[in-house]
Amino acid sequence: MRTTAPVAIAFLSGIAMVLAFFFNEETTFVGRLSNELLNWLIIIGGFTLLLGVVSITRVNLAAVKRRKEGWGYKVLTLLAILAMSLPSVLSSSWSSLFGRSDGSIYDWLFINLQMPMMATMFATLAFYIASAAYRAFRARSSEATILLITATLVMLWRVPMGEAFLNLFPGDIPGLLNTYIMNGANLAVQRGIIIGAALGASAMSLRIILGIERTYMGKG
Amino acid sequence: MSFWDQMQQMDRRWIYLMVGIAVIIPFIVPAKFPVSVTPEVQTFFDAVEALPDSSAVMLVFDYYPSTMAETTPMAVVGARHLFRKDCRIITLSNIPLGGPSLAEAVTREVAAEYGKVYGVDYVNLGYKYGYVSVLKGMGLSIESIFPTDNSGTPLSELPIMDSVKNYEDIAFVFEVADNATADYWISIVNAGYSVPMGVGATAVMAPKFYAFVGAGQIVGLLGGMKGAAEYEILLGQPDAAFRGMDIQSLVHLLIIGLVVLGNVGYFMGRQHKRGLKL
Amino acid sequence: MKRNPKTIYYIIIATAVAGFGGWTVFTQDWSAIFRADRINALVLISLFSAAVLLYTRWARQGKPLFLRKIPGLDAVEEAVGRATEMGRPVLFIPGIDELDQIETIAGVSILGRVARITAQYDTPLTVPVRYPLVLAASQEVVEQAYIEMGKRDAYDKDTVRYVAGEQFAFTATVNGYMMRERPATNIYMGAFFAESLLLAETGNAAGSIQIAGTARPEQLPFFIAACDYTLMGEELYAASAYLSHEPIMTGGLKGQDFIKILIAACIILGVLLVILGRGDTFISLFDAV
Repeated sequence: MRTTAPVAIAFLSGIAMVLAFFFNEETTFVGRLSNELLNWLIIIGGFTLLLGVVSITRVNLAAVKRRKEGWGYKVLTLLAILAMSLPSVLSSSWSSLFGRSDGSIYDWLFINLQMPMMATMFATLAFYIASAAYRAFRARSSEATILLITATLVMLWRVPMGEAFLNLFPGDIPGLLNTYIMNGANLAVQRGIIIGAALGASAMSLRIILGIERTYMGKG
Repeated sequence: MSFWDQMQQMDRRWIYLMVGIAVIIPFIVPAKFPVSVTPEVQTFFDAVEALPDSSAVMLVFDYYPSTMAETTPMAVVGARHLFRKDCRIITLSNIPLGGPSLAEAVTREVAAEYGKVYGVDYVNLGYKYGYVSVLKGMGLSIESIFPTDNSGTPLSELPIMDSVKNYEDIAFVFEVADNATADYWISIVNAGYSVPMGVGATAVMAPKFYAFVGAGQIVGLLGGMKGAAEYEILLGQPDAAFRGMDIQSLVHLLIIGLVVLGNVGYFMGRQHKRGLKL
Repeated sequence: MKRNPKTIYYIIIATAVAGFGGWTVFTQDWSAIFRADRINALVLISLFSAAVLLYTRWARQGKPLFLRKIPGLDAVEEAVGRATEMGRPVLFIPGIDELDQIETIAGVSILGRVARITAQYDTPLTVPVRYPLVLAASQEVVEQAYIEMGKRDAYDKDTVRYVAGEQFAFTATVNGYMMRERPATNIYMGAFFAESLLLAETGNAAGSIQIAGTARPEQLPFFIAACDYTLMGEELYAASAYLSHEPIMTGGLKGQDFIKILIAACIILGVLLVILGRGDTFISLFDAV
């Protein structure tokens, strides 16, 4: 039963979603069922957020109680969870500091702390790309050389300074890059990867629906 | 270890320092090279320009605050173009972390420039969990998915939503994304409901969308900050993206220089080793 | 051949669904029910399903099915062995997307295989996750793997840990872990976004051997530049079947390959017909649904 029930649920819901694609969403039972299942997904998703908060609170509280290494940071984590969540769920009619609208604690913390931190982390990518490019981009083979030359040309084309440099040469090099590299080779390769990945995903979905693939449940 | 091997093993912190300097220099010495427009951005602009005035358009904020530098200029220039054409803008987001806040900030700022009124000329629907369900559900009824706007006002009380019930009433989708939700907009909304759409994506994601432009599934593509700068030029209002092009130019040239240096070190190191063997 | 008793459940359910569908079809207006404009998708799905089921059936019957070598997957066991020798842990990240994404399911499936290897070699395993549902599924998978290898006592509940719900908070935590604990092997299998290079480059700086797999084309260049082995696109979905060595799983892969060949043939035929000026009818068969 512990194995059969999840497999049966996966089968029924998968089949319902596939069939619904071919039936009118508004007038048929199967069509309306698929929309209903999607609405249930929205509701269940809301509860999973709660699961995450409970999990992280439990783990960090346990680490603080046992004074594990770095427990001070766990205290900060718990304080951050409380600071963001509590004011945002309280009614804004009690105070303008509550809720999630302009001027609230949640809004202030998000705009002044979280957004800059997120942007900073993303910005470190610029440094990492430079060091990865310096370390890894070597013309070890003819294919690697072609890749390097193409990458250099595209990097030049995508910035005004580089494009001005390319325009010094005869012929419309930026136009050729756009036509033959981006809309030629790149487009073909992207299509190949997208189609291949989509077929792989479809095959995996089919295996899950039919109960052949059960490793995600820890079985088989 | 030879000089060439040492050069290849250069401490990455020197590289980080060079990148940092390359980012700071354009602030002190701006260059402002001209930005040329690519066909993908031109077709995007033309498609929006061809929309009938007062059309209802969805401006979608499917990006995290982390990519604000690339994507917010796209959203701003899109909002400006749409407001200039007196289009009614319906914003929403499939990103829980900051999407609705960004939508609120951008549309409010641009609306003030054009004297637009909330609830009449634009609305922020906010965020709902489960983007597949949301996108499919809006095909039947937007109100069933978003019964209220982001601040809790029922949609029935907002004049802008009087004539906008589902995708049939949407003339265009202007999607700004830094993740895979753009794929779902194309495969569900464009493919399923034939709503014309254009995508603004980060530079890393942009190459993927050439396939969709080629297939006619999206009318155009804004690729990274350069795409936003091109759109700003077409609109005649160079702004943040255009100013960012100097920094991007210098960093690109630095990376090309580093790649060349690394390869010089690699080949010279190989020659040196061959020389030693002889 | 003895029929599997569970097959009867599927037959009952399939009959009920078909009966209900038939009742719907014959008691209501056909044209208002069925989306005739999507017949082409129905044909494709039917062909696809038939191919997968047929090859799976052949595999069950013992017919040998060829799979090409995927170096990244062959290296997994060797990489775990390296970690065992060095006495350092294995870090596995099943992507940073939700469990309803097929890439995450693929990642969790591969985690089960990797957990069996780490259980066998008594190698410490660390699995940071970003979403609670992925936490629950991963814990189940890892625990089951340890039980199947007879190492129930060696299973540590903290092997799989919920780190943070935000992309870069997750990345910062994992990067910090990498620099402190210096895992010998990092395995990234699933959906990754902007943090892919941050993770891979930090892992490289920490001296780990890295195996990555994602179906996101935009992240592949970063993994290829910074990792020792990279699985591209559908290789990620094939990984679970490849590592299991089970014929029934490879049957599904062969069915998928059959459809790929069919699509390639249609593309070539379409290009030739368009060049000859007779492609309109053929192209209309594939009109977007």
